[in-house]
This record gives sequence, structure tokens and C-alpha cells, in this order.
Amino acid sequence: MHIVVVEPDVVLGAVYRKALTLAGHTVSLASHAQQAVMVMDEKRPDLIVMELQLRQHGGVEFLYEVRSYPEWSTIPVLVHSVIPSYRFSNLAALEQLNVVKYLYKPQTTLRQLCEAISSTRHPSIV
Amino acid sequence: MMGAQPQERLLVALAEQLKLPLLQIARSAELAQLEGAEQLSTGTLQIAQSALQLIDSFLLGTATEQGSLALEPVSLSALVTDTAHELSPFAKQYGCDIRVSLGGRYGPVMAHRKSLQAALSTLAYSFIGATDDENLGKADIVLGVHKSSHGMVAGVFAKDSGLSSDLFKRAKALYGTAIQPLSRTNSTSSAGVFIADSLLQNMAATLRVAHHKKMTGLATTLLPSQQMRLGGL
Repeated sequence: MHIVVVEPDVVLGAVYRKALTLAGHTVSLASHAQQAVMVMDEKRPDLIVMELQLRQHGGVEFLYEVRSYPEWSTIPVLVHSVIPSYRFSNLAALEQLNVVKYLYKPQTTLRQLCEAISSTRHPSIV
Repeated sequence: MMGAQPQERLLVALAEQLKLPLLQIARSAELAQLEGAEQLSTGTLQIAQSALQLIDSFLLGTATEQGSLALEPVSLSALVTDTAHELSPFAKQYGCDIRVSLGGRYGPVMAHRKSLQAALSTLAYSFIGATDDENLGKADIVLGVHKSSHGMVAGVFAKDSGLSSDLFKRAKALYGTAIQPLSRTNSTSSAGVFIADSLLQNMAATLRVAHHKKMTGLATTLLPSQQMRLGGL
């Protein structure tokens, strides 16, 4: 699976890239929304794994942009954020934007992230 | 957090910021495990993960106001079993065993599940961290549930925990000013204990010293849910 990981932190980004590569995926890394759009232009991903707390454009804003392009409108998105879902005020928007899963980053191990990625082939919830 | 004092807002900002380096440590250690450096990285991962849990519990406590949480029916046996399972790898680092002790079959209680689980976790982390070096390999930390005349008692217990109601009362008066408010039982600030207390207060419950099968610990009393009285209580 080709995955775009939108992760603002360089250290975590490198760790996630390595872990997902070990799990057999190819990974493109972007540290902010604009870079993610550029990376996706180069190669359409099968999945986007993204932080909501980004520099400049926020995660939800990025998602609205992604969904506005017909060729990207069906790419599954997995939110992997330092914001716990109970503190995120706009869960309804994520549902509308077809986010298939919301993972709270501090309590999601690399193994659990890989499992969640595998299960996106059979998406279940926000 | 609405209307919080500047110092509390600063603490929340600090806690949010501290998540990042801890997350970097935890995930880097886990990656090292995946790459085969198991022995070195297991302890680092568990310790960073326990610090993240402590921060999350603190933030959960500050996100709501005292007594304001909506309660729901919660199965205590399922909750303590899940919590013990999560804590077990961390406990191993301290040579402890985490055990669950249920004094019978009980129906659900009224609680805020997330807050109760966070309170029991942070309490247990605090007990595990206070394990005496001399007891390494012998200590048992127990997540216990039993019935009392006031409701269901759920808490964290240990033999020779050194706790007493007076000691705990004094510690509650001292925390935030003394470096070691529970100095007889813990060499640290015991933040986990006071965070657990704050989480329980948010669901209109209290933390107090309690006994469970010849052990002493910190526990809360919860009212049974009237929704499903199938027997028992």
C-alpha cells in the first residue's frame, strides 16, 4: 500500500516512515498540508495517515481540500493525532469527510497503527 | 479549563508540550524493538508510555469541572481487568505482578468510564513506582473490587502500603507545596494519586484509604446502576 503520512514532527515522521516500511508499505512523508498536496500530486496514495494539528493550514482544512478533488475524494483517511477525540470539537466534520478511523497518537503503538492501516481495507468507524 | 487560573493554563500547556518528547521516546523505543533491540527498548517504551498516561489523566481532569461529568453504567470487573492488562508490561519493569481481585459477581456501577479507568491507571502506576527495591520480584499490586454498605469499592491495594487515612488527609493538604506529600510511601510528588483524586471528584466521587483482603490502598465508592438489577446488589 502507498501511504502518505502527514506528520509535523520530524523525529516522529522518521519513526513512522520506518515502521510502516518494515510493515511492507511505501511511505511518502509530508510535514504540512501544502507539502502533502504536492506529494500526493506526484503519486496518488492508497491511504492518508494524518495529524490534525498542523502548521499553517489545519488538518480539517487540508481534508476539505483533498475531498474537493474528484481523484482524491475516495482515498481513505486515518486520523492519527495528539488531540484526543473527546477534545476535538469537530468530529462531525471528520465523519462527513470520510475519515475511516480516529487514533489517539500517545496511546497508539506502532503495532496498533499497522493493524489499523490493514483494517482500512474494511473501514468501520470514525 | 474555562475560567482556569493562569498557572493552571500554563500547566496544561506544559503537559501538552511534554507529550511530544515522550511520544518520540516511546515510539523510537518501539521501533528499536521491532528492529530487534528488545532488551534495551522494552523498559524505555513502558516508562515513556506510563508518563504519557499520567499526562493524559491530568489533561482529562482539567478538561472537565468538578462533579460535572455525565455518568453511565460501567462494568467494574471488565474495567479493572482491562486496566490490569494494560499495566502489566510496566509492572514487570518494577518486578511487580498486577492482580485483579473481585470479591464476587456484581452488576454495573454509575461512573464516567474514561475518568475511572484513568484514575485507576494513574493510581496503579503510582503504587508500582513506589515498589520497594527490597521487594523486587515479590510485590503484588492488586486492582480490587468489593461491596460495602455504601456501594461498590474499587481501588488499588498492596500489602504494607503504609497508607492511613490521617496520612492521606495530611498529604492532600500538602500537595502542591511539599515536594513529597506522601513521603512515608512514595519518594516522588505522588502526582498520580492527586490526579486520580481530581478525576474522581469530576464524577462526584472521592478517593480515600480503604482495605481489601488484608491489604491497604486507595479506593473510591461507586453507586450501583439501577438500570440492570439482575441480582446481586
